[in-house]
Amino acid sequence: MLTAALAGLAAGGTYALLGVCAVFTYRLVAVVNFAGAAVGAVGTFAMVMLHQAGMPLVPAVAIGLLAGTIASGLVGAVMSTWFAESDAQTKAAVTVAMLVGLIFAGLRVTGGQHPRQVPALFPGAAFSLDNVVVTVAAVVTIALAIAFAIGATLFLNRTRVGLLLRALSEHPMTAELMGIRTRLLSAAIWLVTGAATSLALMIVAPEWEPNFMTLSELIVPAFAAALMGSFRSFWLTVVGGIGLGLLEGMASNLAWLSQYRGGLPFVIIVAVLLWGQRGARWDEAR
Amino acid sequence: MSALDASGVTINRAGLPVVRAASLSLKAGSISVLLGANGAGKTTLLEGISGVVPLAGGTVTLEGRRIEGSRPNQRARLGLAHVQQGRAVFRLLTTEENLRIACHREGSIEQGFELFPELKPRRHVAAGLLSGGEQQMLVMARAFVSRPKVLLIDEMSLGLAPLIVRRLMAVVRELADRGLAVLLVEQFAALALATGDRAHVLRRGRIVFDGDCASLRDAPEKLHRLYLGEGADGDPGGCFEMPRPMEEDLP
Repeated sequence: MLTAALAGLAAGGTYALLGVCAVFTYRLVAVVNFAGAAVGAVGTFAMVMLHQAGMPLVPAVAIGLLAGTIASGLVGAVMSTWFAESDAQTKAAVTVAMLVGLIFAGLRVTGGQHPRQVPALFPGAAFSLDNVVVTVAAVVTIALAIAFAIGATLFLNRTRVGLLLRALSEHPMTAELMGIRTRLLSAAIWLVTGAATSLALMIVAPEWEPNFMTLSELIVPAFAAALMGSFRSFWLTVVGGIGLGLLEGMASNLAWLSQYRGGLPFVIIVAVLLWGQRGARWDEAR
Repeated sequence: MSALDASGVTINRAGLPVVRAASLSLKAGSISVLLGANGAGKTTLLEGISGVVPLAGGTVTLEGRRIEGSRPNQRARLGLAHVQQGRAVFRLLTTEENLRIACHREGSIEQGFELFPELKPRRHVAAGLLSGGEQQMLVMARAFVSRPKVLLIDEMSLGLAPLIVRRLMAVVRELADRGLAVLLVEQFAALALATGDRAHVLRRGRIVFDGDCASLRDAPEKLHRLYLGEGADGDPGGCFEMPRPMEEDLP
């Protein structure tokens, strides 16, 4: 069972890193960004297409990162220009609309749902454990998720800009009225998360044989991880993401469960939401 | 020169004019009180001056500099502070952090604690856990440490105990005496008139009175007529609420 669990480590690292990006976006610009993985897919497929057209890997990666960053910046520009003062549900609905638009455009540009060959940024095995090979990509992704969580925690709690961002996420207009350059700070958040998401997906994409839609849909397990951290704790999100990956790995080893393992994030999301509502249900029952 | 001049300010909401060609002038070291029935456009006028809502017409000048085209954060950095209605503290930040984000680079958050010593023992408490009065003190202290030249205050007494309102009013007077120009929107009309220097009455988005506070303070029936409209028996142009006389304001 341990062997099977380890096979899910790469996926777990991806969920953790994308989950941390989702929490970062939610905590700082108060948006549950359903289009988060899709902008990463923009960066990844920009890299893939440029590389397949003959560009060397390093500049292709750089341009891909830039493309993902710009795509995220555009999503952020829409959100902070027209929806900065909207409620959370409206913002989430707008990002769902953007996700649909990005998937449609992405599938058109990248040639539909046929899987693409993605060059490996970190090829090879890091180590073997009980005959299970743990890839370098899995280790790098988990390391990145932990580094991002440490960086975000320190940044928010120890720096003045972090303090301003915490204020901005609570009351954008009040923050603006106190002289905080809210648009500039929001734009920086969107750009950073766009770059981080693109990098994450570039690293793990070879393990998924992806098309644009499968990468965009990784936002679902990422949200499951973020929910385990209540969209606040970076550390619980990292643990939740890796745990979800390990669980999927274990599920793949069970014949009766294997074909349903893709639904595990959904089950976890529902379970966490129900758990979160237990107090309200108890009050209602009384 | 005035600290702030609003001239011919017109503001629309949902395509309808809420403030119509309103003009007022704020002087350093002086409190201007803005009165009017509910829905007369007081909050909208403040929001237009600070940039929360765009102007459909008119100009706003801060110490001789036109600012109506600037973003709210630029106006704030030029010295315009806006204390919004409803005690807009950052609930997840501590009292000290609330002050730190607003603090002018040449100022100190300790000045905020000097203004309201009550906040000092609560400096590490999340602002969301403070009482209503403490939250309003924090909002006022936060505006003060940003070292503004002009302070706009919207309904700071809303939902607060009379004792706290008196305390806050005394601080507003103190800030004006230190040289700030203050524009005060207040539901307790008589108390505001007792604290302020100049009064403006807004009816249906228009300034219908601009004069000394004393002239309204000593003649409440005149204030009633201004709220209602000269010669009118009703229809104050908003959700009407009679200005409360001084003796009803506070014990």
